[in-house]
Amino acid sequence: MIPDSQTIRTAATEAASQLIGRPLRPGQRLVTSGLIDSLSVLKLIGLLEKKLRVVIPPETLQPEDFDDVDLIVETVERVAKPAA
Amino acid sequence: MAFNSVLYLGLLGVVAAVFWLLPARWRRGFALLSSVAFYASWGLAFVWLPLLVAGIVHIAGERITAESTGKKRWSRLGMAGVLALLIVFKYRGFIADNLHALGFSFGAHPHLMFAAIAFPIGISFYSFEAIAYLVDLRQGRVTMQRFADLCLFFYFWPNILSGPIVRARELMPQLSFQKRFEPRFVFEGMDRIVWGLVQKNVIANMLGIWVDRGFDANGPITLPTRDAWLLAIGFALQIYFDFSAYTNMAIGAARLLGVTLPENFRQPYHAATPPEFWARWHMTLSRWVRDYLFFPINAKHAGAPLPLYLSLLGVMALVGLWHGAGWGFLVWGALHGAYLVLYRAYESWKDAEGAAHEQRIAGWFWRILTLTAATAAWVPFRATSLGKAWTIWGSMFWRWSGRGSLGAGFCAFVAVVAGFCAIEPWLVRKLSDIEENAGTQGPSVFRVLVRPIAYSIGLLLFLLCDEHNTQFIYSQF
Repeated sequence: MIPDSQTIRTAATEAASQLIGRPLRPGQRLVTSGLIDSLSVLKLIGLLEKKLRVVIPPETLQPEDFDDVDLIVETVERVAKPAA
Repeated sequence: MAFNSVLYLGLLGVVAAVFWLLPARWRRGFALLSSVAFYASWGLAFVWLPLLVAGIVHIAGERITAESTGKKRWSRLGMAGVLALLIVFKYRGFIADNLHALGFSFGAHPHLMFAAIAFPIGISFYSFEAIAYLVDLRQGRVTMQRFADLCLFFYFWPNILSGPIVRARELMPQLSFQKRFEPRFVFEGMDRIVWGLVQKNVIANMLGIWVDRGFDANGPITLPTRDAWLLAIGFALQIYFDFSAYTNMAIGAARLLGVTLPENFRQPYHAATPPEFWARWHMTLSRWVRDYLFFPINAKHAGAPLPLYLSLLGVMALVGLWHGAGWGFLVWGALHGAYLVLYRAYESWKDAEGAAHEQRIAGWFWRILTLTAATAAWVPFRATSLGKAWTIWGSMFWRWSGRGSLGAGFCAFVAVVAGFCAIEPWLVRKLSDIEENAGTQGPSVFRVLVRPIAYSIGLLLFLLCDEHNTQFIYSQF
């Protein structure tokens, strides 16, 4: 089962904060601000998969789908599948 | 008709004025007409090519939207059609030459009938926009557009020649031209255009006079070390100011119509690492490469080291070839790929060691290495042959020799321009503070007095330096 929005939001905030090495500010942009690059986006996907126990198929994704917490929630809800 | 010609500047004023005087419903048609006329001014022979690209994209796009199962197939077919045009018009001479050379080296005498054909200006840029549109359409990021709107998207004159490479989702909504006229469009557009003219005619073209002589194929075989470094630095500065000038003028022209194009540069020579250089240099190309090549490749392998390093080398070599059909461009791209691999390997090592924060000394090491490596990589990009590039590198790195012969004028000019580059971030911040304090509406000293004076000085400098006017470097790509 895919977790609810609030759980995804919390996991996204934690994962992004872990990647940038400090607490993420509300509304802070990750990719377009240059805070993280495309390789870090792949790490972010890995962290989200682990925290939420889902699979995020990357084929139809672009780094800017993970630009802020709102977008991450929207992306996960759109493409994530429950982990086997 | 070059952006830095008096004729273009005059016509730009007329087109912008007529555009805003027209009723909103006629603006789209007028923009398309003026864009086609602008593209035709570079030669009538290829005026149909963006139309053909729009046709291919439209046919493939219709099928992508209509079919539920064959989306990928039609997207690939559309992309293949666009790439085929790019290869035929841009690379067939290069391919033929190298096949000939290969044939001769094996004792064969191939007769490949590839006629030399002219290069359709801007094809590399609008081809990439077309590919991005097809991928985005398949992924549901954009909706299917009418044929006429696609034509306007590809022909749109401010960015058809050399970018910025725009995404349909950021430009197409703006091409409905629903905005009401605001005086700030004129200020914002003129700021970029006048600064672009100064960058091109006063800085880039002046540097170009010395750089052209230094890189001349018939020039001296070996160079003193100081001269080789000065030439490499001179070209690094020339190409930055030349391309940045073009981009500023493109962004400015679009702004006069109320359209916002994405930025292409953010003081690239201040980059602290090789990946940061690419986040600051030709940003719209970097974004395209990231979204449509690098990320999909590495997402499949979850960022595993070997595919990552191979993809960095391969993708950057392709970026080099995208600039031009020549070995020098390929070497330039591959070198940048190697720098990125080196930095990613260092990052992996750092992560494995558990070093949470980079030490200051390592930070400075990477900053200096990035600047030096980027400067050295420009040599094969500019040199007339790989042999010439090798000779200049030799003079720079391992065949140190005596006093330089390039005049004090060049040294002083390079020093002044490099100094300007060094303080550019501070200047940008200062100007933005002044602009902010002046407010966005109503008259202010800055708007009423300082801007007209700055525009007059800028235009005067542009005209005074018009004697050495040359084409923009990136318009050849």
